[in-house]
Amino acid sequence: METVLDVVVAGLLLGGIFALISIGLSLQYGVARVLNVAHGEFIMIGAFVTWVLFEAGVNPLISLMIVGPGAFIIGFILYQAMFNYIRIKAPSLDAFEGNSILAAFGLLFVIQYIALIIWGSNIHGYTYLASPIHLGTVTVATNRLVTLGFTVVISVIFYIFLALTRLGKAIRAAAQDPATAGLMGVNIKRVLAICFGFGALMAGVAGVLLSMCYPINASMGLHYTIIAIVVVVLGGMGSIVGSFIGGFILGIVGSIVTYFDPGLSMVAYYLIFIILLLVRPKGIMGK
Amino acid sequence: MDITTFTSNKRFQIWGISLLVVLAALATLPQWVGSYYVVLLTFILMYILITVSWTIFSGPTGYMSLASAAFFGVGVYTSAILFPMTGAVLPLPLIIVIAGIISFILGLLVGALTLRLKGIYFAIFTFGLVLLIQRFLLWFEMNITATRGRFVATLDNNYIYYVMLVIFVATLLTAYFIRRSRFGLALQSIGENEEAAAHIGINVTLVKVIIFAISAVFMGAAGAIMASKLIYIDPYIAFNPLLSFMPVLMAIFGGLGQFYGPIIGAAVFAYLQEFLKTEFPFAYMFTFGLVLVMVMVFMPSGLVGMIQRLLASLKEGPQEKSTPSWTLIFSFLFGILGGLVSWFIFRERRGARVHLKVGGVVTIIVIAFYLILLLLAYLGELRSGYFGI
Amino acid sequence: MWKIIKKYALPLSICLILLLTVIPGCGDEEEEPAVTVPVVTEPEVTEPEVTEPELAPGQPDDYYTRENIVIGGSRPLTGANSIWEEVGFGPIYKMWIEQVNADGGLYIEEYGRKLPIVYKDYIYDDTSDIATMTRQLERLMTVDKVDFCLPPASTASLFAAAPIFNKYEYILLGAEGGATTIMDMLPALPYFFGTLNYSDRYQIPVFADLCLELGIEEVAMIWIQDLHGIEYSGVAGVEFANAGVEVVMSKSVPPDVSDVSLLLLEAQDSGADALCMFAYPDQNFLIIGTMIGMGINFDAILVGPGGNIAAMPGIFGPNIEGLMFEGAWNTKSAPGAQEFYDLFTSYYDPGIGDWWGHILYWGGLQFFEQAIVEAGTLDQSVIRDLMATKTYDTVLGPTWFDIFGDGGGLLAIECHAGEIGQWQSGVPEVIDPPNIYGAKRTAPPIYPKPDWPVAE
Repeated sequence: METVLDVVVAGLLLGGIFALISIGLSLQYGVARVLNVAHGEFIMIGAFVTWVLFEAGVNPLISLMIVGPGAFIIGFILYQAMFNYIRIKAPSLDAFEGNSILAAFGLLFVIQYIALIIWGSNIHGYTYLASPIHLGTVTVATNRLVTLGFTVVISVIFYIFLALTRLGKAIRAAAQDPATAGLMGVNIKRVLAICFGFGALMAGVAGVLLSMCYPINASMGLHYTIIAIVVVVLGGMGSIVGSFIGGFILGIVGSIVTYFDPGLSMVAYYLIFIILLLVRPKGIMGK
Repeated sequence: MDITTFTSNKRFQIWGISLLVVLAALATLPQWVGSYYVVLLTFILMYILITVSWTIFSGPTGYMSLASAAFFGVGVYTSAILFPMTGAVLPLPLIIVIAGIISFILGLLVGALTLRLKGIYFAIFTFGLVLLIQRFLLWFEMNITATRGRFVATLDNNYIYYVMLVIFVATLLTAYFIRRSRFGLALQSIGENEEAAAHIGINVTLVKVIIFAISAVFMGAAGAIMASKLIYIDPYIAFNPLLSFMPVLMAIFGGLGQFYGPIIGAAVFAYLQEFLKTEFPFAYMFTFGLVLVMVMVFMPSGLVGMIQRLLASLKEGPQEKSTPSWTLIFSFLFGILGGLVSWFIFRERRGARVHLKVGGVVTIIVIAFYLILLLLAYLGELRSGYFGI
Repeated sequence: MWKIIKKYALPLSICLILLLTVIPGCGDEEEEPAVTVPVVTEPEVTEPEVTEPELAPGQPDDYYTRENIVIGGSRPLTGANSIWEEVGFGPIYKMWIEQVNADGGLYIEEYGRKLPIVYKDYIYDDTSDIATMTRQLERLMTVDKVDFCLPPASTASLFAAAPIFNKYEYILLGAEGGATTIMDMLPALPYFFGTLNYSDRYQIPVFADLCLELGIEEVAMIWIQDLHGIEYSGVAGVEFANAGVEVVMSKSVPPDVSDVSLLLLEAQDSGADALCMFAYPDQNFLIIGTMIGMGINFDAILVGPGGNIAAMPGIFGPNIEGLMFEGAWNTKSAPGAQEFYDLFTSYYDPGIGDWWGHILYWGGLQFFEQAIVEAGTLDQSVIRDLMATKTYDTVLGPTWFDIFGDGGGLLAIECHAGEIGQWQSGVPEVIDPPNIYGAKRTAPPIYPKPDWPVAE
C-alpha cells in the first residue's frame, strides 16, 4: 500500500512538471499553428536567467515575475516578425505548418548558440527549497511540491482567463476557425501573436520552476520539447485541460513503469504516444 | 510506358547525355581527387540519396515523413550485426540487400499503420517511431544482450564511394520513373485531394503504402554501407533524430516543385554544412540556424523556386506590391542579434579563445541579409496574400 | 518601383551603417583579458639563405620553408559533448599550446630551431556527431596534413577515431574517454596512448578495496543506458563480487530520465550502505538533487562523471560534504599538482576545473612534448617508439605508458594521481586505501557521510 502511494505521489509530481512544460506548446500549436520545436530552448533560457538571478541573490519565485513577461514579449515579437510572415506567404495551412516547423528548427539552433556563447556548455544549478516534507507516510521534496502547486495555480488562471475574458474568447475563436474569427472582427494577427507569446511565457515560467529541481545546461532544451510534444498530442492540441490531464497520465504511467524497470520509462512514453496516435489521433480532449 | 517514347524525345536525349557525362565524371573521380574528397562526396551523395527517397513519397503527397532516421538506422544496425569488425557473417552486397528489404518491410508496416493519420499527426507519428525504436533497442542492448557497443569492419574509402554511387543511381532512376509513371500521377492526385483520388478509382491505400515502402529501401541500403564509415555503432549513433529532419530541410531548401530541386538543395546544403563546420566552426550553429530561418521566411519555395521567380521578375519587370512592415522589424531584430553575437564572440570568454574570423562571417551574413532584402523589395517579392481570410 | 526603393533605402542604409560601425568597433573595444596570457614572442628564426637552397643530408624537405607546427583536431564545440571542450581536455590543450608558444615553440633538432604551434584554424566542430568527426579527421590528415592531431571527445568517438589515427599513422593521445573494450583492441592500435583512468583501470577495484576498508557490505547501483553505464556496472559487478561486497540493487536509467525518486526509495529500502551512480552529469546531479530534496542518505555515495567538476560546490553548496567521486586528484596527490593548479588558475576561472582528468591530460601532453623534442623530428613513428619505451618526468612524477603487445598503451597506474576522491569541507581529497597502488591518499575518508542538509 505504501509503495502504491509512493508511486502515485511520484507520478503526480512528475505529471505536474510534464503538464507545465506542455501547456505553452499546446497554445502555440493549437491556436497559433506553430509546432514550436524551439519550445525547449525558451525553457532553457528561462532556467538560465533564473540561475543568473539566483547567483545575484534574487529568489527564483521572484524571477517568475521577471522571466514570464520577458518571454512573452520575445514570443510576441517573434511571431509578429517571423511566423506571421511565413503564414502570409504560405499557400495553405499545411504548408504553413511545415514551413514554421523548419523555421522553429532554425530558431532552436540560433537560441542554443546564443546560450552557448553567453553561458558556455558547462552544467549549472543551484539548491533552493531542497528539504523533505513528510505527508503521512510519503516524503516529498519541497521544490517539487512548489512546482506542482504553481503548475496547478497557473493552469487554473489560464483556464479562467480563456473562459471568461474577451481576449480569451477571441483566442478560442481563433483556435476553432481563424478565417471566420477574422470576419467577426477579431484581429487575427494580433491574437495569434499573443497566443504565441503566452506559449513562450509558459515555457519561461516552466524554465524557472524546473531550474529548482533539475541541473541546467545549454543543450537541455530538445529533451523537454519532445516530452511536451508527446503530452500535447496525448491531451489534444490547443486544449489546456487536455495537456493538464495528459501530463498527469504520462507522469503516473512513467512512475509505474519506473517502479518495475526505470530503463523502460522512455520506451513506455513513446509506446503510449504511438498507440494513442493510432487509436485517437485528436488526443484525449481533442475535437 | 513505352521506353521508345523517352528515347525519341529530344529533351530526354539532351538530359540523358549530360547525365551520362556527369555519371562518368563521378565514376572516375577517385582517380584524381584525394581521399578526403571521396569521403566528402560519399556523404553528399548519401544526403542527396536520402533526400530524393524522401521526396518520392513526401514530395507529391504532402505527407511529411520524419521516419528517415528509422530506415537509415535499420540499415546501419543490420550492418553492425552482420558485418562486425571480427569478421563478416555475409558478403557485403548481400547485407546491403538485406538492409534494403528490412527497411522495405518496416516501411510497409509504418505505411499500413498510419493510413488514418494526416498532416502533422503523420509527421509526429513517424518521429515518435524513430525515438521508440532507438529507445527500445537501447534497452534491449543494455539489459538483454549487454552489448558494449558494436564495431563495424572498416572498408576502403573508394569502395564505399562506388557502392554509394550505385545505390545513388538506382535511387535517382527509381525516383524518376515513379514520378513519370501512373504511380506518380496517382500520388500527385492524392496530394491534391485524397478523397477525389479515391473516387476516380485510385487504390489510395495501396499506392501510399507501396511507394512509402519503396522510398525506405534506399535509405536502408545507404545506412548499411555508411555503417562502415561510422565504425562504432550504438542505438544513439544509428538512429540519429537529426537525420529525420535533414531530408525535409534539404528538400524544402532546394524546392519541391522540380525533380532536380531536392538534388540541388541536398548538395548545396550538405556542402554548406561541411564548409561551416570546418571553416567557421564556432559560428556553425548560428549560421546554420539563421540560414534555415531566412530560407523559410524569404524563399519558402526553395532555391529553385526563388531563382525561377527572380528570372521571371527580371524578364517581366518588378511588380509593385504591399509589404508587411513587420518584416523590417524582423530584419532589424536579426541585425541587432547579429551585432550582439559578434560582440560576444569578440570578447575573450573565460578559457575559450574564439576565432576572430567569426565576427567577419557574422558581419557578412548580416550585410548579405540586407542586400537580399533590398533586392527582394526592388523586385516586389515581398508581397502579401493572406490565406483563409 | 522607385517608391519602394526609397521607402526601404533609408531604414536599411541606417541599419547597415549602424552595423558596419558597431561590428568593427567591437573589435577595437575588445577589452584586455582579465587573465594575462603570455604574449607569443616571435621565435628567432634564422633567415634561410636564398642562395643556398640545397639541403644538407638529414635535413627535411621543408627545412627552409617550415615556420610552425600545425596541430588540428575535431572537437565538440557544440552539441551534447560540448561540455568536455569547455571543462575537459579543451582548456588543457589550449593552455599547453600557449605555454609552448610563450617559450618560443618546440625545439625540433631536424630543423635546428624552435617552431611555434599553430592550431586555431584547424580546430573543427564535430557537433558531437561521430560521422562528422571521422570525416573531419580524414580531412585533417589528408588535406590539411596537420603535424599532430588532437583526440576527439567521448569514449564512443575515441573508439571510432582510433582506427583512423592508426591508418594514417597519427599518434592518438587519448583524452576524454576510455573503456575496457579498448584494451582488447590495443595490440592492433600501435598509435593509441590513453591517458585517462577509468572503470577497471583502476577506479572500481580501488573503490571495492575502499568498501572493504570502510566496512561497506551492500551496494546499490544506478547506471545509465549507455556504453559508460554498462561498462561501469559490469566491472563493478565483478569487482564487488571479488571483494565480497553484495550488490543489492542494479537499475539502469535512460539518459533523459525525468524522475528518480522511486529508484532512490527502492535503494533506501534495499538497505544498501553505499550508492553508486554510474551516469553522466545530467543524471548524477538530478539524483543528488532529489536525494537532498527527499532527505535520502547513504553511508557512502559515489558520484560518476560530474562529481569531479569544480562547479560542484557552486551547485550544491555545503551539501557536497562527504560525497565521493571518480577521478581523482588534488593539489597534494602528485609531485607537480600544486604547480599545475596554480598555472591553471592563472589562465582560467577555477570554476571550470576538473578533478578527474585535467592533471592526467596535462601530464600526457608534457610527456608528448618531451617525446617530440627528444625525437628531434616530426615523424610520428619515431615519436611513437619513444613514447612506447621512454619514461619522462612530468607533473605526475616519472611517467610512462603500459604497452599492450606491440600496440598502443595506457598511462601506467603508478602515474595516476588517485582513483577515488571525496569532497571534504569544499576541497577534493583523494581517499584511495593507503596500501594500494602507491599511497595516493591525501586525507582519511569521512564515513559515514553526514546527513542532508549539511549546514554551512
